[in-house]
Amino acid sequence: METIDSYAYESCMRGISPGFKAAVAAGALLFCIGANHLWISITVLLTMSAVTVWFGGLPLIKYLKLLKIPLGFLILGTVAIVIEFSARPFGYVLFHWLGYYVCVSKIGGVIALKLVLKAIAALSAMYMLVLSTPASEVIGVLKHLRVPKLFIELMHMIYRFIFVMTGTQRLMKQAAVSRLGYNDFRTSCRSFGSSAGNLFVVSLKKASTYYDAMVARCYDGELLFLTEEKKVARWQIIAALCYFTVLLLIFLLVP
Amino acid sequence: MSKKEKSIMKLATAFAMAFGIIPSAYAMHIMEGYLPSGYCIAWGAICVPFLAAGFFSIKKSLRENRKSITILAMSGAFIFVISSLKIPSVTGSCSHMTGTGLGAILFGPSAVSILGIIVLIFQAILLAHGGLTTLGANTFSMAIAGPFVSFGIYKLCRSLKVNKLVSVFLAAMLGDLFTYCVTSIQLAFAYPSEVGGVGASAIKFLSVFAPTQLPLAIIEGILTAVIIMALETYALPELKSMGFSKEVG
Repeated sequence: METIDSYAYESCMRGISPGFKAAVAAGALLFCIGANHLWISITVLLTMSAVTVWFGGLPLIKYLKLLKIPLGFLILGTVAIVIEFSARPFGYVLFHWLGYYVCVSKIGGVIALKLVLKAIAALSAMYMLVLSTPASEVIGVLKHLRVPKLFIELMHMIYRFIFVMTGTQRLMKQAAVSRLGYNDFRTSCRSFGSSAGNLFVVSLKKASTYYDAMVARCYDGELLFLTEEKKVARWQIIAALCYFTVLLLIFLLVP
Repeated sequence: MSKKEKSIMKLATAFAMAFGIIPSAYAMHIMEGYLPSGYCIAWGAICVPFLAAGFFSIKKSLRENRKSITILAMSGAFIFVISSLKIPSVTGSCSHMTGTGLGAILFGPSAVSILGIIVLIFQAILLAHGGLTTLGANTFSMAIAGPFVSFGIYKLCRSLKVNKLVSVFLAAMLGDLFTYCVTSIQLAFAYPSEVGGVGASAIKFLSVFAPTQLPLAIIEGILTAVIIMALETYALPELKSMGFSKEVG
């Protein structure tokens, strides 16, 4: 399984403090959604993408592919917002069917454009964080925000177990395919179900092995990880402040 | 072509594009940035009591048996992996289960609320399905509403002496359908229709997502039943130790 944070390990921005990156991403995200302003969305989209591609060193093609992931939802959701059904015509009438008019209202297009840009801009802000920060460091940021210890611990373990299980699953699928599983719809359902069931059994066994291993290393209800200290440089703070001032100015000055 | 025909062509093309380019039908995660700020906060706040209940129930079971922490974590990872796998589908597009119905039947709805929100965070930051600002809304529909309905239907069917696999199928399918309805209503509240208000908007969202979500719900039901069948064959002792299926065996 190709996860987004596999790119984060190769990012040139890995050396920057995860807390700082999270703060900038969260700030841009909140600006986007709170302001709901066309030019802020465009600015955030362009700047955040530029940061990820230039400073992070992610190839542009890969970045665009990642931006495409929620496309299906975006198109369907926006179609549902823009198209209206009504008993009497208004706006631009597309066609008349069974006594109903299917229309697009005059401001519908503008609203849709603003919404699509806002969503993609918000996505680019989130990507700036997750394409430069491995998930374990994101969890570290949550820990600093005083999220309950139990929650953090579960997150750390689930993150690790996801990869353990994906590996096991891949082997099982290979075995099933080489024995004519996943051949048509019926066998696919059977292979999928039995390999998922088997995966669950294997994972329960592994869970108890992992617990024994943790207890053997003095686990008493708290997982401690060695985290790298990454300091925030003064120029980074100044750059971030300038960035948010520009966003604020756009919000106040551009109609 | 007359003007009317032209506009019909335009609409038809738009529809064909909308259904043609959908790369994969995930369960309905509302994408990052799609909800206005007020709704993000409101849905997050609605989730808090359920999450708190889940948190305390997990804490209690950990106090009784510290060892269940790795089992819980494995279960969370299981839900994530199951929901990230391509599932067999009739239409040929690749689609995915939610896996939360299965989780609710196996571990109970309150534990699934906590596991569900963690899975949703990872889906957002590892797979870009859903988002951080829409986490509250997605948690409510996928980790709270769906699992609670699944669990309720499963218990109801069992007490009515319905066949076990049929109850699992119904629970998972209806839980999935309920998730889809809740998400549509969440979107409708945020974007009410200009002519018909929230109700008309909900119908629009329901009908737009129906072609991907209805088959998905049925497949989710079938697969959950097959998984439970496999588990009962291979893992009855483990299931019993977790409190599942006291009436079996």
